[in-house]
Amino acid sequence: MTVTSREGAAATLAEVSIEVRGLRKRYGSTVAVDGLTFTVQPGRVTGFVGPNGAGKSTTMRMILGLDAPDSGVALVGGRPYRSLRAPLRHVGALLDAAAVHPGRRARNHLLWMAQYNGLPRRRVGEVLELVGLAGVARKRVGGFSLGMRQRLGIAAALLGDPPALMFDEPVNGLDPEGIHWIRGLLRSLAAQGRAILVSSHLMSELEDTADHLIVIGRGRLIADTPVSDLVAAASGDQVILRTARRSEAMTVLANAGATVAATGRDALTVRGLPADRIVALLGENNLPFAEVAPHRASLEEAYMELTRGAAEFTAPVIKEAS
Amino acid sequence: MTARDGFVQILRGEWTKFRSVRSTAWCVLLGAGLMVLLSALVAAGSTTDANDEPAEPIIADQFHFVHQPMVGDGTLVARVSSQQDTGPWARAGIMIKQSTQPRSRYAAVMVTPGHGVRLQADFTTDLAGSATKAPRWLRLTRAGNVITGYEGDGTTWTEVGSVTLDTLPRTAEVGLFVTSPSTAERVVRRAGGTSVGPDWRLGTATFDNVSLAPASGARPGTWRNDDVGGPVQQVDGTPLAGSATEAGGTFTVRGAGDIAAQPPSPGGDNDTVRDALSGIYIGLIAIVTLGVLFATSEYKTGLIRSTFAASPRRGRVLVAKALVLGVSTFATGLVASLAAFLVAQPIQRGNGFRPPAYPTASLSDGPVLRAVVGSALVLAVLALIGLGLGTILHRSAGSITIVIALVVVPSIVGSLLPIRVETWIQRLTPLAGLAIQQTRTDRFDTYIAPWAGFGVLCAYAAVVLGAAFWLLRRRDA
Repeated sequence: MTVTSREGAAATLAEVSIEVRGLRKRYGSTVAVDGLTFTVQPGRVTGFVGPNGAGKSTTMRMILGLDAPDSGVALVGGRPYRSLRAPLRHVGALLDAAAVHPGRRARNHLLWMAQYNGLPRRRVGEVLELVGLAGVARKRVGGFSLGMRQRLGIAAALLGDPPALMFDEPVNGLDPEGIHWIRGLLRSLAAQGRAILVSSHLMSELEDTADHLIVIGRGRLIADTPVSDLVAAASGDQVILRTARRSEAMTVLANAGATVAATGRDALTVRGLPADRIVALLGENNLPFAEVAPHRASLEEAYMELTRGAAEFTAPVIKEAS
Repeated sequence: MTARDGFVQILRGEWTKFRSVRSTAWCVLLGAGLMVLLSALVAAGSTTDANDEPAEPIIADQFHFVHQPMVGDGTLVARVSSQQDTGPWARAGIMIKQSTQPRSRYAAVMVTPGHGVRLQADFTTDLAGSATKAPRWLRLTRAGNVITGYEGDGTTWTEVGSVTLDTLPRTAEVGLFVTSPSTAERVVRRAGGTSVGPDWRLGTATFDNVSLAPASGARPGTWRNDDVGGPVQQVDGTPLAGSATEAGGTFTVRGAGDIAAQPPSPGGDNDTVRDALSGIYIGLIAIVTLGVLFATSEYKTGLIRSTFAASPRRGRVLVAKALVLGVSTFATGLVASLAAFLVAQPIQRGNGFRPPAYPTASLSDGPVLRAVVGSALVLAVLALIGLGLGTILHRSAGSITIVIALVVVPSIVGSLLPIRVETWIQRLTPLAGLAIQQTRTDRFDTYIAPWAGFGVLCAYAAVVLGAAFWLLRRRDA
């Protein structure tokens, strides 16, 4: 798939990535982003995760040239955003769904953006159709629910049919159906070969969507890893065992050198022994069991593991748009 | 793609933004509507009787007179050795007058700083002599009812002219006189009221070689001096008395006033065109609000980030905004000021502002057209100041308040202050821009020339927009 930029240079989607190198930003005495380096590769969904205040939004604003970094560079397709002549054709972004004039109709909200970048007027109708807002195109945005505003923001991001997209907390305020819709959209956009960066402060939101994760805390990079590696690392070599004779099983396995923890009424988590060895030991001791399975850590657990100590706010968590 | 194409795209986008929110329509309607309404109200509340004034000339007869009676024929000679230049028509000379009653008949020969030697009589006769200033010898003779005036250099005499005063009594007052018409207006503010009147200054002249020779051979009497017509009064009521002293045959005489029939008032002194456009004071509030909101609504909602993401070239965005706003508010202002002018004019006519005192103002007159179009320009520039301040401050209320404070407050406060202070307020605040509404240059409140005043306003806009431009490119969005 090929996108022709207005400058006439053809850029294949596969070449366009978002790149951040040594990015640093300080507001007064607060360091918001502290030497961040990562690349958002095309063709996959990259989750951008960190607790509130970790610097996700600041990083996105610097990528879009809205905030100037104190040092470092942010590049889109190898170029600084501020040098792009029709930027919406290069990167689409949803930063804040509330950033709309309540008195303006949805159609006009997209029309001025299209005009700014010389995009054809019909794109407005197309993206409204795509996000399911065609029916309210002539309604004023002030009457929109948060979910509708998120869809409008996504429509704006898609307006220039850009090879790279950034979404800041896109599922905020969406109902389950909307969340399902946006996950499908993100995956299909990535499947088209686009580079997708999606931020969230909740790892679970990205569970089934992200292929790759960039985890930050206090403005620093904590992990830049494929989702599968992260889960594997957090899962370790633990095995879940279900048996009605829990205490006997614990004794047998502990004697064999395993670390055993009771994690439920009839469940044990076993560490230090492979699953086949556990099955053999239980058989030798005539202990029946209902299930033996390798434990797969949830992304949330993996994330908690990673960000322990990196959270800007400790409990109670202050909920705010980061 | 040329750089200009990119700008035209931004311009189209900004036009879409501008026209697609309801506040724009509200501000435009409110601004234009209020301007027309207030102009109509001002016109309805202002009446004049300028056309009811009598058609006969008003006779001014005020001067300082050093005099004595002379019975029958005779000759008065004097040399005006010096005359202070207090105006082209300041007068110093010798006179024969029916009595010291004002408006009584007279004939006089005199020197003036600007119009040479003159022989004047009965307020309407004015004969020119040589174009000579003081020092000059003057001579006046009475033979029956014929009065002849001469001027000379001390050796030769030249006749200036002669007049016949047929009802001059046998005994008439003769002597030296000095007067000085005002050449400026004096404005006095008291308790918020403004009074405008002539600014009187005493003129001074010295005389020597004064000799009076009655044909009867009688000895001349003693000189007396009076302010004929009473001392002139300044607009605040202060009298300004003349004086005369004599030392060793040299008379020093000081006096103020005028001796002339003044033609009927050429017209009222209201600037009816400016009055017809005075609704701008209210209209501008809505127009300034429009300009401020065009910037601040983006900051309030965070839309400014979408704007700068769509075009990282922020300077161009501001220029495009300024262009869209400037042209739109100019068009709005033009409709409003034309409507105000056309609505107010018939009301003014009905209230006495009619020819001949008030000739009908026509849009084909340069100053009238300048006032109407200029009002629209002023509104557009004020909107741009609003846009600039909104961009700098990001706050609607603060920005609107500052612009209003810069324009409306000085106009209210200024009218309560002494005229000299108000003059500088009118020249230095953005209020100066409203000078473009002036169609008369002879009023006391002509503080600054129309285009100069507009220039002052534009300078404010340039500074504010320049600062906005500078900050916009430096600050994080």
